[in-house]
Amino acid sequence: METAETKTVETPGTKAPWEGTGVTLPARFKIGDRVRVRELPAIFYSRTQMYVRGVSGTVVRLNYPDLTPEDEAWNRYNAPQEQYYIVRFCQKDLWEEYPFQNDTLQSEYPESALEPATD
Amino acid sequence: MPSRSELRQLYDAGAQLTPAIHQPQDWPYEVPHTLYEAYMWPLHDVGGHAAAPALFEEKEEEEWEDKTYVTCEVLGWKGVWNAEERRRRADNDVGVSIYYGFPYYGRWIWSAARMLVDKNHISLNELHEKIAEVKARYGNR
Amino acid sequence: MQHQRQHDHRHDHPAAPMVDEITDFEVLEIAVRELAIEKGLFTAEDHRKFAEWAESIRPAGGSRLAAKAWTDPGFLARVRADATIACKEIGIDWAEPTGFGSTSDYMHLVVLEDTPTLHHVITCTLCSCYPRPLLGHSPYWYRSPNYRRRIVRWPRQVLAEFGLVLPPEVEIRVEDSNQKCRFMVLPVRPAGTENWTEEQLAEIVTRDCMIGVALPRPGRRADDVRPVHKAARPVQSQHH
Repeated sequence: METAETKTVETPGTKAPWEGTGVTLPARFKIGDRVRVRELPAIFYSRTQMYVRGVSGTVVRLNYPDLTPEDEAWNRYNAPQEQYYIVRFCQKDLWEEYPFQNDTLQSEYPESALEPATD
Repeated sequence: MPSRSELRQLYDAGAQLTPAIHQPQDWPYEVPHTLYEAYMWPLHDVGGHAAAPALFEEKEEEEWEDKTYVTCEVLGWKGVWNAEERRRRADNDVGVSIYYGFPYYGRWIWSAARMLVDKNHISLNELHEKIAEVKARYGNR
Repeated sequence: MQHQRQHDHRHDHPAAPMVDEITDFEVLEIAVRELAIEKGLFTAEDHRKFAEWAESIRPAGGSRLAAKAWTDPGFLARVRADATIACKEIGIDWAEPTGFGSTSDYMHLVVLEDTPTLHHVITCTLCSCYPRPLLGHSPYWYRSPNYRRRIVRWPRQVLAEFGLVLPPEVEIRVEDSNQKCRFMVLPVRPAGTENWTEEQLAEIVTRDCMIGVALPRPGRRADDVRPVHKAARPVQSQHH
C-alpha cells in the first residue's frame, strides 16, 4: 500500500494552531435519530442555514468533535468541543413548492444547533 | 403569436418593470421585526434565495488574487487567524454592499487587513501609510 | 471585467492605459503582505512555499481516487473507513503543506457514493468550501452566489443547465458542505469501461463529475467547455 511522500514543511503531526484545546463533550445523538434544527438567533454569525431552521431531519453520520464555528471564528480555542453530525432532510420538508418526492439534502451541524425531534 | 418560450421571456422581462419606491435609510427611529430579521440574516446564507439562471463561467485568477489566497492561508498557518475567522469577517462582517460589490478575493484581502488592525498586529495608521506608499511606488495619484 | 476606475473630473490628467494602472486590490494585497512580513507574522519564504503547494493541486488526485475505488474493493473499503487517510494511497496528503492541513481545507474527507438510484451534487451555500487537496481550486461558478442560491432549492433545474437531467425516480441528494467536512462525488462507473486500466478510468472522471454536475462516460475526457473570463494580469507561471 503506497503512501504519499509528505511534502510538508512542519513536522508531521504538529497540531494546527486552530485546533481546539478544550474538553470534548459527549455525543448525544446517534445515527438514525430524528433531530430538529433549533431556531436560535443568527445575529453576527451562524453556519446553520436559515433554510433548515425549525426543520427535522435524520442523523446519517457522526463526524468529528470540534469547536463551534462561532467559537472558532472568535478564536475561543479552549471552548468545549461538540460532536458534529451530518443531518439529512427531505427536500419537500425544506421547500414549500419542491415537487420531487425522492430528493434529499444533507448538511453538517454541531450538536448545539440540534435538538431531539418529535416528528 | 409569440412562442411559449418568447411569451415566458416577455413575462419575465415584464415582471421586472415594476414601480419601486426607494426609501433611503438614514437612521430610522424604528425597524419592523421582519425587516430587523432581514438585516440580521447572516449575509453569506444565500441558499434558497430566488435567482434567475445566470452564466456559469470559469475565471482566470489575477496574480493579486493568487497572492491573496496564499497570504490568507499563510496567516492561518502561522496562527495569526484561522479560516473560520476569515469566513465570518470576509463573508459577514463586510456588510451587504461589499459582500456583493467586491470581487471574491477582494473580500479575502479586505478581511485580512481588517483582522491585522483589529488584533493589533498593525495600527490603522500604519496600514494607511503603507497603502499610500505602495500607491506612490507604483505611480498612482 | 477589469477594474472600473472612477474618472475624477476634478483633476486634469491624461487617461492612462487601464491595463498599466495598479488596482486598489493589488495595492491592498501588496500592503498586507509587506506589513505582515515586516511585523514578522510570516516570511517571504513561507509565502513562496505555500504558493508552491497552491500551484500544485489538481483534480487528478480525485480522479485517481475514483478510478482506484472502482477497481479495488479493498481500497473502496478503506475510503469508506477513513477517506482522508486512504488519499495517501493515491498520493494526496491532506496534511500538506503545513503538516496540519492547508488552513481552509482541514482533514476530514467523506466520499459520496452515487448509485443508479442516487446522485449527489456538492455545494457550499455559505462560502465556497471545496476539497482543494483532491480537486485543486474550485471553479468560479461554484463560488458564485447564483450557484449557491439555486442548487439547494432547484437542483434539477441547475443540473439541467449543466446538461444533466435525471429521472424523478433517481434521488438527487445535495450536500451543503457548511463545516469542516469536505466531499467528493464517486460517480457510478459507466458502462463500456470493462477491463479499463486505472489510468483510462481516471481520465474520464473529471472535476465536474466529482462535484456532481456531470456524469462520466467513455470518450468524455474533459469537462464541458465553459466561457472563461481572462485575467488582466494573471500569475506568470509555467503551470496551468
